[in-house]
Amino acid sequence: MRSVMTFALMTLRSLLRRRTIYGISMVLLLALFGIGQVPSFNVDSEGTFLLDFGLFGLEIGALLLAIGLAANIYPRDREQRTAMPLLAVPLSRGQYLMGRFIGAALVQAAAMLVGCIGLMLILVMHGHPIPSDLFPAALLLIVEGWFLLAVVFFFSFWTSPPLNAPLTIMLFVVSQMTVLQFVELFPQASGLMRFIRLILPHMDVFHIKDPIAHGMEIPSLYFLLAALYGLAYMGFMLAVALAVFRSRDLK
Amino acid sequence: MDEFAERYSMSEDPATGEEVAGDAVFPYFLYKSKGTDMTETPLSVSELTKVFRKSFGISSFKAIDSISFEVRKGEILGFLGPNGAGKTTTIKCILGLLSPTSGKARLWGSRPASLSVRRRLGYVPENPDYEDAFSPVEFLSMFAHMRKLPDDRKMHELLLDRVGLKGWESVRIRSFSKGMRQRLSLALALQPVPDLMIMDEPTGGLDPNARKEFRDIILEERDRGASIFLSSHLLSEVETICDRAVILAKGKKVTEGSLDDLLRVEEHYRIEYIDGWKTPEETRNAISVDAGNLQNTIDALRNEDRRIIGIDQEHRTLEDVFLSATGGGRR
Repeated sequence: MRSVMTFALMTLRSLLRRRTIYGISMVLLLALFGIGQVPSFNVDSEGTFLLDFGLFGLEIGALLLAIGLAANIYPRDREQRTAMPLLAVPLSRGQYLMGRFIGAALVQAAAMLVGCIGLMLILVMHGHPIPSDLFPAALLLIVEGWFLLAVVFFFSFWTSPPLNAPLTIMLFVVSQMTVLQFVELFPQASGLMRFIRLILPHMDVFHIKDPIAHGMEIPSLYFLLAALYGLAYMGFMLAVALAVFRSRDLK
Repeated sequence: MDEFAERYSMSEDPATGEEVAGDAVFPYFLYKSKGTDMTETPLSVSELTKVFRKSFGISSFKAIDSISFEVRKGEILGFLGPNGAGKTTTIKCILGLLSPTSGKARLWGSRPASLSVRRRLGYVPENPDYEDAFSPVEFLSMFAHMRKLPDDRKMHELLLDRVGLKGWESVRIRSFSKGMRQRLSLALALQPVPDLMIMDEPTGGLDPNARKEFRDIILEERDRGASIFLSSHLLSEVETICDRAVILAKGKKVTEGSLDDLLRVEEHYRIEYIDGWKTPEETRNAISVDAGNLQNTIDALRNEDRRIIGIDQEHRTLEDVFLSATGGGRR
């Protein structure tokens, strides 16, 4: 564990020194503040709008951050051969993957928290109360972000970064679809489509922006189960990613 | 007490005369306490084969073909071969970076995937590169943690001093030249006080002074008891420091042996002569004969009224052996 945490901290420091992350975070914050300017011209129920679009913006931010953080980590290590000295001597492939993942997950969580605080500030600045479920919702968004990170890591072991992004986005979109929407894509093979939808992630469980925006109460158990689902699927994705990584030759 | 021991606070035990770690600046004690049976052969490679498959498995390329050799305790084994012979592929199979198609590589009898043996290994890669946002001390610190060694800044500074990076301890690697990166990779390889060092072209691209410094460190490590597996293009370097050599060509082992055996030539003599006594010396000729025919040849030359101006025993260099073994030479 000491090796993993050391490597995770190394990854964290390395990521924090990259400008891409600050760029994505700035765009996210600007988008949130931009949303804050829109309702005064268009929408009556400003608080609902702010929460709805703010949480949607944070979710998209989580997706972009996951891609920006992780899509290039392993390909870059392989291209620049920085992985060789690490994997040749002190680290196993599992430790490498976990170290890289934890480092990126810490940055992702920090960025999501900053985004969430930004959204709270916007609400306060516009004179709206902060819903009690916003903080647990932010935690769910962080779990969703970690799951997306695991997906990006998984793709990064067998695709190039330019292909990783569309694949991750595609999975993100597909995993938001309901079974019926999914079956409608190929109604001729409804059984197969149902089965595929069953094994694909159900990221709609993280969609709590509508109830929060409309002031509905969400049971604590829901948050817990949704978070557990996300973490379990994240663990599954990492296990598959590790299996792919272990089968790869480092030329 | 030798220079190395003095530098790393080693001292002689007055009772036994053995060297012991003084104020434990260097963690020798960690090394001997746990894990692997160090009486085992440090590195053994048996029938190792690696086939790279391309284009969805339709075409393939056999990079190494049934290579077997071993690195014995306390020796320097030179690993030679022309470009593309399979040296780096072999090293990557040994380190577990590539999975062999067949055959096996063992470190102290264990699989390369075993971290407990890999942590006792020093590896100097060809063209080393590191995340350049860190300094050498930061790297040594992180590697110390990952290797479960004490993270002691003084120790890191001593190591960097040893490889010639004194004064660069806190400078980011971004500004390092290739040679400096190679020095850092040597420091990282030396950090665990390794029992086996695997070096892939460690002096390629270094200036002659740096090359000598590297050679001296390699010899110091060998004298300390470490085994060294040295892949190099520099035949003179291998000839100077290696005890044995393995030569690869086109993925196959073509020669293996001690340097003495490889360089030994059956007694061959070179006779230089001039046709006739009045011919100018510039028009000299030479023939090569083995010891059994030497006297007959001399007699024959004299009978033909040729003037013999010199007889020398012929010597072989490692280059001759290399060219001969890899099919690029005259013999």
